[in-house]
Amino acid sequence: MRPFTLFLVITSFLLGLLILLPISALLLATNPLELFAIATNPEVLQALWITLASSFLALPAIFLLGLPSAYLISRCRSRLRHGLETLLELPMVMPPIVAGLALLLAFGRQGLAGGLLAELGLRIPFTLLAVVIAILFVVTPYFVRRCALLFDTIDRSLEEAALLLGASEFQTFIHLSLPLVRRGLTAEAIMALAQGIGLFGTIILFAGNLPGRTQTLSLAIYSAFEADPQEAFALGSLLLLISLLLLTIVKFIAPKEQRI
Amino acid sequence: MKTLDCRVDYSLAQYRLSIELRVEPGVTVLLGPNGAGKSSLLRLLAGLNRPDEGHIRLGEQLLFDARQRINLPPEQRRIGMVFQSLALFPHLNVEQNIAFGLRMQKTPSNLRNSRVKELIQRLGISLLAQRQVATLSGGERQKVALARTLVTDPQLLLLDEPTAALDPAARGAIRRWLHEILGTLKIPTLLVTHDAEEVAWFRKRVAVIEQGKIVQSGSYHQLLREPQSDFVARFAGINLINGQVSLEESKPIFLSQGGTLLQGRFNCILPGPATLAVAPWEVALFTEPPGGSPQNVVAGRVIERIVLGDRVRVTLLGKEKLVAEISHRAWEQMKKFDLGIELYAVFKAREARIMNT
Repeated sequence: MRPFTLFLVITSFLLGLLILLPISALLLATNPLELFAIATNPEVLQALWITLASSFLALPAIFLLGLPSAYLISRCRSRLRHGLETLLELPMVMPPIVAGLALLLAFGRQGLAGGLLAELGLRIPFTLLAVVIAILFVVTPYFVRRCALLFDTIDRSLEEAALLLGASEFQTFIHLSLPLVRRGLTAEAIMALAQGIGLFGTIILFAGNLPGRTQTLSLAIYSAFEADPQEAFALGSLLLLISLLLLTIVKFIAPKEQRI
Repeated sequence: MKTLDCRVDYSLAQYRLSIELRVEPGVTVLLGPNGAGKSSLLRLLAGLNRPDEGHIRLGEQLLFDARQRINLPPEQRRIGMVFQSLALFPHLNVEQNIAFGLRMQKTPSNLRNSRVKELIQRLGISLLAQRQVATLSGGERQKVALARTLVTDPQLLLLDEPTAALDPAARGAIRRWLHEILGTLKIPTLLVTHDAEEVAWFRKRVAVIEQGKIVQSGSYHQLLREPQSDFVARFAGINLINGQVSLEESKPIFLSQGGTLLQGRFNCILPGPATLAVAPWEVALFTEPPGGSPQNVVAGRVIERIVLGDRVRVTLLGKEKLVAEISHRAWEQMKKFDLGIELYAVFKAREARIMNT
């Protein structure tokens, strides 16, 4: 083997080790029995339920807000596109915990929109809605970025052909553009779910860590770690398995050329 | 009977597209080299790009008018366009592709099905109906793309290089098919091509576009007999021989650069540089120099010989370079001569045009 190739192989091997070692350690720390026991514990089930519910509730909102923006960005000329992308990068570079603070200041009782929301009888912080909004805030920008790249893969002449066949722009979007990237979109939906499930810092600040109300699995791990590390490891394995499952589904669904 | 009448101005990167064009019902071939602005013109007509100035009128209806600020979106123009890439929808099968336009226009499904069926039969593509687009050959795709457009009953049909992407065998078949189908339509049809052979095939009205301008338009025969520019002549595959016109006893004579005295119809009588144009199919080939009536005779050696179906294109190089197109039968009668042999190219004075350059 030539030296440079050898160098590439060794560095890749080290990276592989770096990824696989902690994952194996976590999975080895719990035996299947323990995992089953904890997975059927009512408190854990509650956290699991909140985790899945918040992620699934956020999904339609992510699509509704994200898809049109992604399409707009994909259709924009370079300059405007650059501006819009920078706007999306703002929440992406924000540390999650800072995002939580920002959301509190926006939607909290004393927040910018808090007064208005209070008049409407809405108190967002420390509710399931807060968990959903936190996910929406953090996950949507990533979703939009990836979907814009997905829309970029559509041959423009297909959409023009649809228009010339008498389809309105909206019909073209619904009946042509979306179906053309449906596999990619499904994969993005699952990625968004996975991202929402793993969210921690933003939720703990904005929604709190209230068991049965806002405590997701990630937050439950944090609480458990302080009391009983062994339980935290088991919970961690559970969360990891869920993520692995989602990743596997993505790999099966996503067309190779559309993975970004 | 609707007629397309347009005058459009549009800035392109290299030059300005500035077109005035009338397209009567029936086929008009728009001929021009790559980059002449053919596809850009189609996009302006279809409403995919907006002209800077001008108007586009189809029959009584104004599709675009810069001054009146009228600009119908593509979906309201009732223009059918077959893209060069064909733009078939990959997620739908052939029948669904063809039905797409009617589905979007919310045509009731029983009417939609019967119209799709009727058209599929008329175009002879019934066997393809359930196929996936990806499994179709180039020629089949072309047929499906045209069917998908025709089912929406367009008032103007635009075809962008319909045979360019096909292999030569399929090209002939699709041309025949297109010729037959387009002949039955009563709408103005603009067929864009960069291929002079296509023009010869369709033998319809022709508009020639060059650097964003229409340089000539008229019948196919007009184009051949009276090419208005070097470009058109070269495009039509016509022989151009450069030389000089001078006056001898106040009569113009043409002497080629190779030193051959040639006769033709003079389009100019000004002495000076000139070009003689003669179509390849007006040039006959002989193994012996013919005697008799006064004709132009140019000797040369065969340097290229291409068989195009029932025609044979022969290039002679002597003092002049000349292309002759003879029938396959004539070639057989000359014992299917090969490269390298010496032949005599003969053409009549009245078939040659001499014009100023």
